[in-house]
Amino acid sequence: MKRLLIIFTLLISNIFVNAQDTNKKKDSIIALDEVKLITVIKKKIETEMKMAVSVDEFLASSDNISFIKRGAYAWEPLLNNMSSERSTITIDGMHVFGACTDKMDPITSYVESNNLAAIDIKSGQEGNMHGATVAGSIDLKRRSTPFSLTKKWKGAYQTGFEINNKQFFNLANASYSSNKFVADGSLAYRKAENYSDGNNDEVNHSQFTKFNASLGLAYKTSELASVKVEAIYDQANDVGYPALPMDLWLSRALITSATYKQLFENGLFKALDTKIYFNAIEHYMDDTTRPENLVHMDMPGWSTTYGLLSKANIKKNRFSSEIQLNAYNNLSTAEMRMYPQDRSERTMFAYSWPGVTTTFAGLSINNAWEISDKSLLNFGGSLGVNYNHSKYVEFNWIFHPGTPQEKTRILPSLHAGYQLNIDNFNFSVGGGYGHRAPSVSEGYGYYIYNSFDRYDYIGNPDLDNEISYEGNASAGYANDKFSLQANVNYFYIKNYIIGRILSLGSPMNYQSIGVKGYTSLDYSTLFNFSLNGSYSILDNLHWKGTLTYARGKDENENNLPFIRPLSYQTSLHYQYNKLSFQTSINGDLEQIHYSPEYGEDQTPSYTIWNLSADYTFKIKDYKTVVQVGAENVLNEYYSTYADWGNIPRMGRNIFTSLKFNF
Amino acid sequence: MSNNILDINSRNYNFKSFKLNTLLVMKKISFFMTAMLFAVTACTLDKTDYEDEINTVVTEYIDYEEVVSITKDQYLINIVALNGTFYKGYNEIRLNITNTDTNENVNTSDVTFLPLITNYSGNSTSCPHQYNLDYNTVNDYYLGYAVFTEESNDSENWELYITFTDNEETHSVTQAITVEEQTNMNLNMTSFTADDGEQYFIALVAPQKPAIAENELVAGIYKYNQPTNEAGTFPDPTQFSYTEVTDYTLLLDPRMPEPSMGNHSSLNNEDLTQQDDGLYYGVVNYTMTGNWTLNFIFQNQYGEIIKGTEVSTEFTPGIEGARSELHIDILF
Repeated sequence: MKRLLIIFTLLISNIFVNAQDTNKKKDSIIALDEVKLITVIKKKIETEMKMAVSVDEFLASSDNISFIKRGAYAWEPLLNNMSSERSTITIDGMHVFGACTDKMDPITSYVESNNLAAIDIKSGQEGNMHGATVAGSIDLKRRSTPFSLTKKWKGAYQTGFEINNKQFFNLANASYSSNKFVADGSLAYRKAENYSDGNNDEVNHSQFTKFNASLGLAYKTSELASVKVEAIYDQANDVGYPALPMDLWLSRALITSATYKQLFENGLFKALDTKIYFNAIEHYMDDTTRPENLVHMDMPGWSTTYGLLSKANIKKNRFSSEIQLNAYNNLSTAEMRMYPQDRSERTMFAYSWPGVTTTFAGLSINNAWEISDKSLLNFGGSLGVNYNHSKYVEFNWIFHPGTPQEKTRILPSLHAGYQLNIDNFNFSVGGGYGHRAPSVSEGYGYYIYNSFDRYDYIGNPDLDNEISYEGNASAGYANDKFSLQANVNYFYIKNYIIGRILSLGSPMNYQSIGVKGYTSLDYSTLFNFSLNGSYSILDNLHWKGTLTYARGKDENENNLPFIRPLSYQTSLHYQYNKLSFQTSINGDLEQIHYSPEYGEDQTPSYTIWNLSADYTFKIKDYKTVVQVGAENVLNEYYSTYADWGNIPRMGRNIFTSLKFNF
Repeated sequence: MSNNILDINSRNYNFKSFKLNTLLVMKKISFFMTAMLFAVTACTLDKTDYEDEINTVVTEYIDYEEVVSITKDQYLINIVALNGTFYKGYNEIRLNITNTDTNENVNTSDVTFLPLITNYSGNSTSCPHQYNLDYNTVNDYYLGYAVFTEESNDSENWELYITFTDNEETHSVTQAITVEEQTNMNLNMTSFTADDGEQYFIALVAPQKPAIAENELVAGIYKYNQPTNEAGTFPDPTQFSYTEVTDYTLLLDPRMPEPSMGNHSSLNNEDLTQQDDGLYYGVVNYTMTGNWTLNFIFQNQYGEIIKGTEVSTEFTPGIEGARSELHIDILF
């Protein structure tokens, strides 16, 4: 069985080897691993710098990911400088939707670094495998131990302390594998207090506590088939969001799945992988710790998703394809209840998500045709049906009288890319076309307060599909010592959905200054560029650098919000026996192209210097790594272009961690 | 494409002891996970039941029930109203007359209906009402309304003066009734003297139970007709004459007065204009539950404002919203 698996893996991966060489950055899956030379190429400063990273910090090490930060916890990932409703974020292909109307709980906040093996980021329509997208896809790959011929136990325990916010964390994971049975488990607990900024001022309401546990059990039902059940439980308590007018009292997620996998020795089909899943998220905000608030308000939210995904792999000669069926049903409900100043009076209630059901079914196909040893053609497409139903449609009728309770959309997607590898040079060119449906908030949101531009947002169920046309290209050179890779992509997005001021209605939240409705711009354009270089100065001294630039404009040539200014990262890694040192500098230039219309102001430039050192040794055959480092060594006071409300980032932070492997 | 996956578990580390410990850990984990699975399937906080939420302060009555029955000679008069009760404000009145001798409904009568309230000094006043009831041939009852302006109390009592004709003979009855407090603020009323010197009454008729939605707002608007002649035999209907106001307009601006709501308003509201049934129809949007003030401006048929003041549209967090001089407060 194992041999078969290996053979199969080789078969499948064989066709990707070229792709991997020619297309390092575009489809990078970044391994969540300790500092290992082999992975250095795939990783960037923050993970190089730090071995105990949060999922957010880890994601930040990808070129095309940036973050909107509302505090120290649960950063909202932006892929290709587009907000999270434009990308599909999945866990092993499973759709999970946050339960917070204010995006306090991106899906990435419900996993932990020790139950993930990798994060698969795909740009643009290449990411259509798990559903309709514009920006691309982020798939969080769960840790999954393969069956083994002999019984094996493995595990790791990691603990550490970060001085700035007194974060103490414990991460443990263990796995057991045998010929027939595999178990994976992990436990994680993090607790942090308020952090301090570069002026050594405490940033109030930036604490968090997170607990995460996961378990996966797999059983081999026959030589070529296995079943697997998996669950993740995540709970966050007392999480502060300094940039928002409220915090989190409790959020809980239960993410479960059952998978049946069948391999085939002969024939066209090589593998069939079917998963059913269920996840439930509850999210309760809390403003009782904010006495400055005029109104006490309860804002609970719930999101429940059932889904199915089934994937088949086909391979014939130099042609391979992956076909995936996705189906899910999500119910998102969010409430707001405002308490009058005289608490004996009647509370004021409304739904901010009036019981919105989203049902999606789609079929995706991605093909790879290895034309020659030097060139590869990828092409694919997907077709999805997206159905929305608003239970309390009368809420939507207030702003959109008579709008239908149900809405069905067809979401097509196409993409193609060609890769060429000549000696040490590689080139690629590609294009894509795809639709996406508005998110629950964009379609059905009701007075959702956005503390960034201080407007209440109203969804519009009649919004047109957002239609993306994209082009991408890359060129690179790599030899044993030196590599340079440039990537560029361009999106022309028709019916770009964004909030525009409504002259109708008046705000409901006392902090807000007006009402914005989600509307479609005629179009907007987005341009992303990145340049990566690496150089092995000595066998044990490596340099790496990255430069990214992005520009986003609306139909009137005005700037789009949350577009990253020119940013740079440069790092050095030095290995001396079992000691290794890393240092890095990263920063953004001044944000020239900011968008006052969407609540942005100009963010000045900043530069951050980081340092770390680690030492690997053995305690009784157990590999142990100890690391000490400092982020923002110079204690710079700064906030980035995407820090909600210009909330200052963490000042100097000294971190230590210790990891045992057994 | 699933390239570049680096499997963290592909490297083998020597494993010797720790086995027992790990086994225990694993067991704990699985126990823990099982417990968690059960714990999490129930939500920490229950979702709001929307129906219950709307019903918290509003009781909706749908059934018309008998309020009072009067026997006069061989006639039995039944008066039916919502919930079998007369409330302060607008009441639809349904009246049946049965000849108990023949057991037949009297349906060709001229029925008059006059509610009067008499205070401790013996003075009587009335309230907006339909004096001549119409016969509704579909449902077989006489139909009218009364807008009771006050609740019954110890010193003031309401009486109904009803006359009807049968076999060219006029019968009159008098019946004491009780008018109760209207607890549903969505059926509130107001009375005022407008700039034209006349006395007007505005009574909300619908919605009884508003929703967070676009609601059709229905109101009756009435005017007291000053008597032009000397009072005749009591009760002289000319002394207690009210009419529906025709072709006026009631401009509407709904707002939440709660200070923390900062003078919040809604949109797509429509002013009230008179329809064929004599009542005034408009649209009010309530964006959330709670206290709302319906601010009115009252215009006569020439478009002249005869009552009501414009309210500020400013968003004023922390300050209780200012009301028009002509307004009705509602709550749901």
